[in-house]
Amino acid sequence: MSLNLLYSLREGVLAMRRSRLSTLWTTSTIAVALTLFGIFMVLTFNLQRMIDSVRQHVVLEAFVDASLGEDAVEPIRATIAGLDGVSEAVFISREQALARFRDAFGDDPMLVLDENPLPMSIEVQVDAAQRTGAQIEGIARRISGIECIDEVAYKGGVVEIINHWSRYIYLIDAVLFFLVLASALFLVSNTLRLTIMAQKKAIQIMQLVGAERGFIRRPYLIQGIFQGALGGGIASCVVWIVFALISLRLPALFELPSWLLLTPMGLGALLAFWGSEISVNRFLNDV
Amino acid sequence: MIQITDVWYRAGGNQILSEINLHVKRGEFVSLVGASGAGKSTLLRLIHMAILPTKGVVRVDRFNSRSVKAGDIPLLRRKVGFIFQDFKLLEDRDVYDNVAFALWATGARRSTIKKRVFQVLAGVGLSHKRYARIEELSGGEKQRVAIARALANEPFVLLADEPTGNLDPVTTEEILKLLRKINTRGTAVLMATHKDGLVKTLPSQVIKIKEGRIVP
Repeated sequence: MSLNLLYSLREGVLAMRRSRLSTLWTTSTIAVALTLFGIFMVLTFNLQRMIDSVRQHVVLEAFVDASLGEDAVEPIRATIAGLDGVSEAVFISREQALARFRDAFGDDPMLVLDENPLPMSIEVQVDAAQRTGAQIEGIARRISGIECIDEVAYKGGVVEIINHWSRYIYLIDAVLFFLVLASALFLVSNTLRLTIMAQKKAIQIMQLVGAERGFIRRPYLIQGIFQGALGGGIASCVVWIVFALISLRLPALFELPSWLLLTPMGLGALLAFWGSEISVNRFLNDV
Repeated sequence: MIQITDVWYRAGGNQILSEINLHVKRGEFVSLVGASGAGKSTLLRLIHMAILPTKGVVRVDRFNSRSVKAGDIPLLRRKVGFIFQDFKLLEDRDVYDNVAFALWATGARRSTIKKRVFQVLAGVGLSHKRYARIEELSGGEKQRVAIARALANEPFVLLADEPTGNLDPVTTEEILKLLRKINTRGTAVLMATHKDGLVKTLPSQVIKIKEGRIVP
């Protein structure tokens, strides 16, 4: 490490100590902005997770002609399993269907009926890449065209609703993302500008003794990275605490991967570096 | 070493300097004398290339005001020391750090910095105060720290803008003695002052400035 860099590191740390109030203000600003951003990121991540989970459970049910024997259904199941966009096709016998009915509703239709009223069916799982309403409808149409398939039932409406609304949610997410990012950058560059303004005399003296632009800038950039990482670190902790508290009451509602938790810290350092760069350059161009 | 040829400088609609011609040789002591607002400080800032002439040329060593690049100016300033009436010291650092600051900026090694700082502080008679805070020093001591900082990079010329403006007569005499000592060791000194009487005691070439022009 060059001596100049060592000096810049030392100056960056000392500058934070010398201007404690301004460091506190900058770090708090970054922490508040990135806490909002972190909460927003966790919500978006979990919303995406829920949407994916709903999509993964999209199943088509193909009802088979009741006059066929169970042995005759296997070639039909195999044909469906071979269709483009189908990931899995499972045969459900009348007995299995009855058992599911009992599990789901707690009633036994056999108590009031002489025979099992439920038909044989084939449960069809759709590929993850084929989960738009139109694609599912296409697969259902192809299954309906197979001989001995009486009817195909699916919850296409739910998929359509999810797809329709998730587009708006992602749009709102993107707008929020840029708003939070832009306001965080604005706040950071302005608070750091105040810090740099307070160091105006030091910068003028540096220029007076022949310091190069890079030498003058470096301690401020290092100071910015430290403050950003510190503010981001605080934001990461707050986000973790908020969702840990929520999870106490609503376990398994939110997932919080470590990369997501570390994002505010990394982003804080990056934002503050960028903000310092803007502020110090603007200042050096003015003097 | 310093060659100013037909320099004119205009700012904010006012003509600050006109038709300035000046030559300062290595090791020379030159006093610029003139009333406040005569243009002395502007002339020193032109030599330091903090500003560039509207017309004419300023040559300082190998640097020429017509061709100098922004990246060259820090290199020039390491060879042209500058002291001021208000000292321009960093109040939040001690004496050692104020002087070392000028050397860190050049990328000097830590051991070289330490040695050089002790050397220049000894030269200005402040070795015993090297770890004192700036606020603990008298006006004369502050000016000595500023001189030590200006000398840290071994400049060939020291520009002094009213260096005794804030000092009492006894301290003024001490600072002038120090400037003479620096000059006898080979560093040229270019001192601006509004005090006519001050330069009478100095073995210097006196240049009078009035309303932005050099007068006989």
